[in-house]
Amino acid sequence: MSEHELQGEVRLEELTKRFGEVAAVDGIDLRMPPGEFFTMLGPSGCGKTTTLRMIAGFERPTSGRIVLDGVDVAQVPAHRRNVNTVFQSYALFPHLDVAGNVAFGLKYRRLSKDDTRKRVAQALELVQLGGFAQRKPGQLSGGQQQRVALARALVLTPRVLLLDEPLGALDARLRKGLQVELKALQAELGITFVFVTHDQEEALTMSDRVAVMNGGRVEQAGSPREVYEEPSTEFVADFLGVSNLLAGHASADGAGSCVLKVGERTFRAAQGATSSRGEVKAMIRPERIVVEQHDTPGDNRLPGLVERAVFLGSSFELHVRVVGGDVLKAFLPNDGTAMPAAEGAAVTLHLPPDALRVLAPSAGPSEVEPADPVASSG
Amino acid sequence: MIAWLRNPWARPRALVVVTGAYILWSLLPVALAVMFAFNAGRSRTTWQGFSFRWFTSQVGVFHDPALQSALKHTLLLGVICVAVATPLGVTLALGLQRWRGRGAGTVNTMMLLPLVTPEIVMGVALLLLFLKVFPGLGLGTVPQAIGQVTFTLSYVVVIVRGRLVSIGKEYEEAAADLGAPPHDQILRVVLPLLAPAIVASAAVVFALSIDDFVVTQYLSGAPSTTTVPMLLYASARGAPTPALNAIATVTLVITLATLSLAFLVYRRFAGGGDAAVVAAMEM
Repeated sequence: MSEHELQGEVRLEELTKRFGEVAAVDGIDLRMPPGEFFTMLGPSGCGKTTTLRMIAGFERPTSGRIVLDGVDVAQVPAHRRNVNTVFQSYALFPHLDVAGNVAFGLKYRRLSKDDTRKRVAQALELVQLGGFAQRKPGQLSGGQQQRVALARALVLTPRVLLLDEPLGALDARLRKGLQVELKALQAELGITFVFVTHDQEEALTMSDRVAVMNGGRVEQAGSPREVYEEPSTEFVADFLGVSNLLAGHASADGAGSCVLKVGERTFRAAQGATSSRGEVKAMIRPERIVVEQHDTPGDNRLPGLVERAVFLGSSFELHVRVVGGDVLKAFLPNDGTAMPAAEGAAVTLHLPPDALRVLAPSAGPSEVEPADPVASSG
Repeated sequence: MIAWLRNPWARPRALVVVTGAYILWSLLPVALAVMFAFNAGRSRTTWQGFSFRWFTSQVGVFHDPALQSALKHTLLLGVICVAVATPLGVTLALGLQRWRGRGAGTVNTMMLLPLVTPEIVMGVALLLLFLKVFPGLGLGTVPQAIGQVTFTLSYVVVIVRGRLVSIGKEYEEAAADLGAPPHDQILRVVLPLLAPAIVASAAVVFALSIDDFVVTQYLSGAPSTTTVPMLLYASARGAPTPALNAIATVTLVITLATLSLAFLVYRRFAGGGDAAVVAAMEM
């Protein structure tokens, strides 16, 4: 892929798409630097697919700019943009064989027959489908079709590859394998990947950066660790992984962190928007809650009763009803130590200050659903 | 008997009986008509032995000039109708598919009007049109062809649009994504995917055309523009001989052969494909 230089920067500026009264994408600003694996993550209807379709050129933005390597392509039709798409349903042409599908776009590159054949063969080798050139898409498995779709897009050496939930239709095992392969391929080719998914695990494992979207806006963009460990809004905390949310009243403690009054108890919280005052929400990941023997003394602790203990293999997920009525989830590693936590047992939960994160109110539009305090993973 | 009919574990036998009875009933007159085409005598009601005379003798279909002319003219109209209505209908279907917003709904409904307009109404209306508005054309082959195209066009649009809907927009988007300009999106992707529906609608148009009586009759001119159905209708009251059954048999064979061919092509390429088109072909 020699003519490929270090290009492929995408900038979205004030990008908006309205369908009638509804703003599917509501003025987003994002920058995807060259060679990045960038993921747009969010629930269905959050605008991630519409954004991708605007970058591809299938939807015309209502306003805003799509800047590809410095040129605004927002009004350029799809067939003149140097970006390619892997569709959710692959959209392989059923009347053409695999080679025909991969060669489809090369027709517009004015190559000799030999060059075309060579490029097709290379692309098929790249996705490990060397022997399948003469097959029809209907004779391939889902995973193979996905590879053909990938080869068909990559053979054109796009500056940016757009992937619309490309693993969504595959079974869990195949998905895991392809996640790794896709990531390796991206690193090898150095092409900017813009990946759309609603699967948070996929987003976290594959991406250089993740934009969590909700209601047509970007809630937070950052590295997977950032968005997971330092969610800036309630929505992000809730959507990524399992999280516990506590509503409380924040006040100053004079030492850089803040004091959070939840019901009758007070906790010190050292993470997040610790300068917030008044009614706030705080969150803590289940894996950061330490489950201790009942009546262990100390700060930032609260007693509770184990309502449910779910065996997950490598760990137990405990649902602990704490004083005040909330249920908190905590993971207890299955490491051979005696389990203090049969159903009905009394335990003490330790919420360390550096795991307790004060959240800013959600940046998205007002209709953000009131989050279940122990909402499960998306 | 009742127990046999009501056995809940078997196929729904009552339905099988009704279906079987209906098929027999609908095939019986056709079978009788075909049978008497091979009658050795002049009777169309009394069996007098097997013979090919009504096909091959001097008075048979293959020699009688009136019958021959009718057969030729019927096939000519069929071919013209397919050649005009199919491409026109496909174009219309593609256009309607892309037409969103104001007026699209109205036009869609109007496309279906010819399907529900009584044919006699359309025949009379077209006759008035050609007599009063375009008197220069006269009556005959051209008005007949125009008339047939007018009402067969809707079938093409309905069949092709059904297929377009089931194909969806994604293949076109994929083609655009790979660099194909709009005309190539149609030529390299949409038309090949539509091929089965196009073949199917061409077959339906052909069958409708060679079968049509009302419109074709109204718009006919010189005796040379008589078609097989018209001839059958006219001579049925004169001195009918099994030659009529013979020509009816020939048309039947042509129609069935066309439809079967189209059906096979459709099955081959659409892999059993969408029910709407199969249903349309089987009507």
